[in-house]
Amino acid sequence: MTSPVEDVEIVAARPPRRGVSLRDAGPLIALVVVTLIFSVLSSEFRTLGNFQNIMDSAAVLTVVTCGITFVLLTGSIDLSAPGVMGAAAIAVSLLVANNRNDNNLGLIGVLIAIALAAALGCLSGLALVMLKVPSFMTTLGVSAVGLGIATLLFAGVQPNISDEMLASLAVDRFLGFSYLTWLAAVCVVAGYLIQRYSRLGRYAFAIGGAEEVLSLSGVKVAPYKVAVFTLASAFYGLAGVMVTSQLSAGLVQAGKGYDFAAITAAVVGGTLLTGGRGGILHSAVGVLLVTVLTNGMVQVGVSPYWQGGVQGLIVVVAVAAAVAPQRRRNQVTK
Amino acid sequence: MMIVKSSSAIALLSLSLAAVALTGCSSESNADAKSGSSTCDKSDIKLVGQVRNESNPYEAAWLNGGDAFAKSVGLEQQRLTYDGDSTKQQEQISQLLAGDTDCLVMNILPNGDSDTPPIVEQAQEAGAYLVTQWNKPADLNVTDYSQWLSHITYDGKTSGKEIGDALATAIGGSGGIIALQGILDTGAAKDRFAGLEESLKANTGVELLDQQTANFSRAEALDVTKTLLAKHGDKIKGIWAANDDMALGALEALKAAGKEGKVAVVGIDAVPDALTAIQNGSMTATVSSDGPWQGGIGLAIGYCAATGDLDVADIKDRAWFAEQFLIQKDNVADFIDPKVDDADFACDNLFSRSQGPIS
Repeated sequence: MTSPVEDVEIVAARPPRRGVSLRDAGPLIALVVVTLIFSVLSSEFRTLGNFQNIMDSAAVLTVVTCGITFVLLTGSIDLSAPGVMGAAAIAVSLLVANNRNDNNLGLIGVLIAIALAAALGCLSGLALVMLKVPSFMTTLGVSAVGLGIATLLFAGVQPNISDEMLASLAVDRFLGFSYLTWLAAVCVVAGYLIQRYSRLGRYAFAIGGAEEVLSLSGVKVAPYKVAVFTLASAFYGLAGVMVTSQLSAGLVQAGKGYDFAAITAAVVGGTLLTGGRGGILHSAVGVLLVTVLTNGMVQVGVSPYWQGGVQGLIVVVAVAAAVAPQRRRNQVTK
Repeated sequence: MMIVKSSSAIALLSLSLAAVALTGCSSESNADAKSGSSTCDKSDIKLVGQVRNESNPYEAAWLNGGDAFAKSVGLEQQRLTYDGDSTKQQEQISQLLAGDTDCLVMNILPNGDSDTPPIVEQAQEAGAYLVTQWNKPADLNVTDYSQWLSHITYDGKTSGKEIGDALATAIGGSGGIIALQGILDTGAAKDRFAGLEESLKANTGVELLDQQTANFSRAEALDVTKTLLAKHGDKIKGIWAANDDMALGALEALKAAGKEGKVAVVGIDAVPDALTAIQNGSMTATVSSDGPWQGGIGLAIGYCAATGDLDVADIKDRAWFAEQFLIQKDNVADFIDPKVDDADFACDNLFSRSQGPIS
């Protein structure tokens, strides 16, 4: 008597589930395929040393992408990473032991730099919800503000850091990976926990999926949007600190190019620009895919004159493959 | 009516021409100077230096050199920066030239080759004195314009070869090296790499294992070098970088790999950090274009032309290569604290660093 009912339920439940798993697995499959291809083509690619190298070079982009993913989930876009990272990089290099002043705040200096970054993100969020300026413009403006702050602090003399703790993060290794790589891994886990279990994370999905429904059901959306931009910028700030650690110097251009690199990585990983789909783990896979591509082309020996074009082409193909299962949804958006 | 008006205009014109001719006769030295424009009083001259941004040590030093020259003649330099934004640069120039331009002297770093022609056209029309540096389309001739006094640049082939040779010497004449190229579609990157190729022809024991672009960026150079270290390992004895920023990025990669001091690194530009690295032995060589001198010389040429001490017709090469300096451990101390020498800016000594016309 009960079995027909069960059958019906199973039939009804299966198709959407299968769609979900295919969408989620697409970028991961692409990552595995690309890695296998490069491993076959190049003996240098498939070494342990190069694997460590790939993970290390993915670290900064991973952290930036963790931040940008939250913004993309809400359906907004964030171009403020270069400015926020630059401001954080210069700030941290002037607050820890350095060659420009007598500051030696250590970890507190790092936290102040991240707080400065978060404040810039808060500014983006406030401009978005209070002045109703599209996120594209507000974040571009905030990026310029960040670069402006960085340039003022820079004052023509490169700040080099001598802080032992910060400098060693990029050099010292634990279980084969640099501390920065572990830090990036912690960010992914933390980002995933926020996305999965906090109200902020779940509302981010809901805002991107159907903002009107959310506000009609009585949720005040604005504070969450501001919080999302603030959180994202805190990640950029940390990324700026990581670049400073890698280069042992505070650079105004520390975040140059990371805005679009992170958006590319997130989208390649299956986080949609339209919001509501994807997430931290998708984006992390996207970062690895992009990093493996960059690394693999050097290892295989693709001419530098060809690399940019080839990489762009592969990214387009990867994105097309990743979004293929949900083509209908994409047709609606331009 | 029309005829009357135009004939009176002609009368006015001929009167003023006569006046110009008369004043021309009274001042002997400038009798054959530019027709119609009188020379400027020192105090009327306005000096402007324009670079991309002050957030890079080289361009900040450039503007400081301009200040030093301005101070030496009792004037002040207006410092302009355009954040590497071509549109912003053109806007600043237009604003500048909308004001009083008779005694305006501009020492400009155009953002790219294609930004130079509009700047030159505008300056020519406004009658301002213009010197440009680094970027200019090859087919744009300085001599076609009376107000464009000079275009100064550096032979990237020479600098690329010089550091290539220094690198070859540092690794004992044999072994593998890698090259970090600049932005591939820029003249500077192409010329410098051509210089390296020339050096490789002369140093047959040196093998170029790999060449990649790191777009003149310190952060990109770090990643690329790490990847190349993973690829070639201990075969890499030296790293040739098309600028110091990339050389410094490569140094960080070596540090992370525990190879600091074991691999020779060379760059170009002589940024302060590179000089420190040469001093403490982690870097081998760099090449200086002398930023402070560049900031001063452009203003000095314009200043001397404006005061009438320099006749444009007397300039032998209007587009010229300036002298650059190879810096290694033995002479790095001279460049740590760059200073301008006022003697370089004397009106009869402006072209002492010329290495000949741009070929």
